[in-house]
Amino acid sequence: MASYINYRISQIHLTSNIRQTIVAMLGVIFGISMYVFMTGFMTGVNNAQNDLAFSSLAHVRVYNDRPADNTNIVSKVFPSTVVNLRHPKIIKYTDGIKNSNVILDALKSQKDITGVTTQVNINVFFKNAGNKINGSVSGVDVVNENKVFNTSKYITEGNWNELKQRSDGIFVSVDLANNLSLKVSDNLNIFTSDGISKNYKVIGLFKTDVASIDKSKAYININAARQLIGANQSYVSDIQINIKDYNKTKNIINQITSIIPYKTESWQMANQQLAAGSSLRDIIAIAVSLVILLVAGFGIYNIMNMTINQKIREIAILKAMGFSGPDVTQIFLTQAIVIGIIGGFIGLGFGYLTANLVNKIPFELAGMSTLPMAYTLKDYILAFMFGLVTTFIAGYIPARKASKIDPVTILRG
Amino acid sequence: MQNKIILKADNIVKYFYQPDKFQVLKGVGFEVKRGEFVALVGKSGSGKSTLLYVLSTLDTDYEGDLTFNDTLLSNKKQNELAAFRNEHIGFVFQFHYLLPEFSALENVMIPALKLNKKSKEEIEASAFDNLKLLGLGDQALKKANKLSGGQQQRVAIARALINKPSIIMGDEPTGNLDSKNSQVVFDIFREISKERGQTIITVTHDDDFANNCDRIIEMMDGKIQNK
Repeated sequence: MASYINYRISQIHLTSNIRQTIVAMLGVIFGISMYVFMTGFMTGVNNAQNDLAFSSLAHVRVYNDRPADNTNIVSKVFPSTVVNLRHPKIIKYTDGIKNSNVILDALKSQKDITGVTTQVNINVFFKNAGNKINGSVSGVDVVNENKVFNTSKYITEGNWNELKQRSDGIFVSVDLANNLSLKVSDNLNIFTSDGISKNYKVIGLFKTDVASIDKSKAYININAARQLIGANQSYVSDIQINIKDYNKTKNIINQITSIIPYKTESWQMANQQLAAGSSLRDIIAIAVSLVILLVAGFGIYNIMNMTINQKIREIAILKAMGFSGPDVTQIFLTQAIVIGIIGGFIGLGFGYLTANLVNKIPFELAGMSTLPMAYTLKDYILAFMFGLVTTFIAGYIPARKASKIDPVTILRG
Repeated sequence: MQNKIILKADNIVKYFYQPDKFQVLKGVGFEVKRGEFVALVGKSGSGKSTLLYVLSTLDTDYEGDLTFNDTLLSNKKQNELAAFRNEHIGFVFQFHYLLPEFSALENVMIPALKLNKKSKEEIEASAFDNLKLLGLGDQALKKANKLSGGQQQRVAIARALINKPSIIMGDEPTGNLDSKNSQVVFDIFREISKERGQTIITVTHDDDFANNCDRIIEMMDGKIQNK
C-alpha cells in the first residue's frame, strides 16, 4: 500500500501516451517472438538431423577394436633410443565379440538404457548376373533392431518381421536394388571376403534417405549372418545401445567401460561433425536471438530516456513533495517491467504463431515434408525470462538516472 | 503558542561552483515563528531563491545549521529529508507543476497518498474539501491540463495544503498570474496563516504582496538587509 501512489503514477504514464508504450512493447514483442521462433526452428532442424542420423546410428556402439600399437616396445622403456623397426604388424587375435550373452546381461542392469540390439556386420559383394557392387550386410536381431533404429519405418516394400522366420530372406536398400535391377522375390548372390558365396531371396526393400546407406546396405537375420561367416551362436560384431537422452552418452560410457572389455564409442565420438553441427546451430540461434533482444532493449532504453526527459519537471516536483530516489526508480522501473511482461506474453504468442506458420512451409528433402520446428516449453520460459531481464536492465538505467535528478536545478529553471 | 520558533537558520553559507566559485549566501541567520507570513524579497541574484531552497531542505549543499522545531535538519540523509518534506512542507512554485494527466483531485491527493497515514477515501474527501475551499469544487475531476492558469495555481496550493504542513514555501507563487488571481492567492495565504497557524515563507517580486505580509526579509548580496 505504501507504494500505491507510485504504481498509480506508473499506470498514468503508461496509459497517457499509449502510442509510445505500444512502440516500446513492439520492441519486446519482436525480440521475444524472434527468440522463440529461432530457437524452435534450430531445435527442429537439429531434431530432424538427429532423427536422420539415428536411423542408422545408435547412441553408443560396443565393438572389438584393433589392439593398441605395441610394436615398438624399446621406445617405451628407453624413450630417447633410436630404434629401426621394419614392417611391424599388429595382429588381431580375436574378431568381434564372442561372448555377447555375458555383456548383454551386464547391460540389462543399467537403468538409462532404453534399447540394446546385436549385429553381425559383414563386408560383402552383392552379385546379380553380371552386376557386382560392394557393400555391407547387417545380420540383425529383428525385434530389437526395430526397437533401437525404428527400421520398420523405412521399409518401402515387404514386412520387416518376416525376416525373423526367413533365414534365406534379405532386405535390400532401394538404390542398391535399383543398381542391381532387383525386385522383391528376386534372388541375390552374396560373396564374402573369405570367398563364401550364398543366395538369398529379396523379401523387401527399405529407404533411409541417407544416400550412402541406401546405396550399399542389406539386412539378413543374425543367425543367417553367423552361418555365412561360420561363427558361433553368441558371436556378434557390434552391440548397439540406445539411451534415454542421447546427449548424455558420457555418463553411460563411464558406467559401462568398467564392466565391458571392448571398445565403447558414443555417436558424438563416431560422428563429430554431427555433434559439432548441432552445437553450432544452437550457438547461432542463441546469438541471433540475443542480438534481437539487445536491440529491443535499446528501444526500451531510448523510450524510457525520452519519457524521463519529458517528465523531468514532474520528477522534480514529486521529489520536492517528498518522493525519495527509490520511489522515483520504482515508478519508472515498474513501467519498464509492465512493458516487459505484457510484451513478453504477446511475444510468446506471436512467436508461437510464426513458428506454426513456418512449420507449414513445404520442404521436401531427406524425408521431410515441411520445414522442421520444435515447441519446447523450456525455450518459451527462457525467452520470457531473457525478455524480462533485458527490459529490467533497459529500464533500470534510465530509472536510476531519474532518481538522481536534482530538483533544485530543475525547479529554479 | 504563536511565539514558538518553528524554523531557525544559523549562519548559512553557500557557494555556487558554476561557472566560477561564487559565494551566494554569506552567513544568513534568522528565525521564523509559528504562523508567521514571511516574504523574502530582493533583487535577482541576491540569493533569496537560493535561501528558500536551502530552507525547504531541497538543497543540501550548504554550510551552517538548519533547525526545525528543535530538530537539526542539516545532517539528515536525502531520503529522510524527502519523508520530512512530505509531512511538514508544502510547496507552491511560480509554475504550477501539476501532473498534467491526473485530475485536479488526484493531483491534490498525491502528497497524502505518499504520506499514507489515512485511507484513500479519507484522503479523497479532504482533497475535495481543499479544492472547495479554493473555489474549485466543480473542477475536481477535470484533468489538470484542462484548467486555466489561475485554477492550476489554486490546485497547486490545495496540493501544498493537503498534508497540513507546518510550513508552506512559495517561490514567486504569483509571478505568473494576473493581478486578480494574485490577489486570490494572497488572500488564501493570509487566511491559512491566520486561521490555521501555518507558517508561510515565500519569495516574491510583487511589492504589494510583500507589503501585506507579517514580515519582510530583504536579501542583498547574500546577506539579510533588515529584520
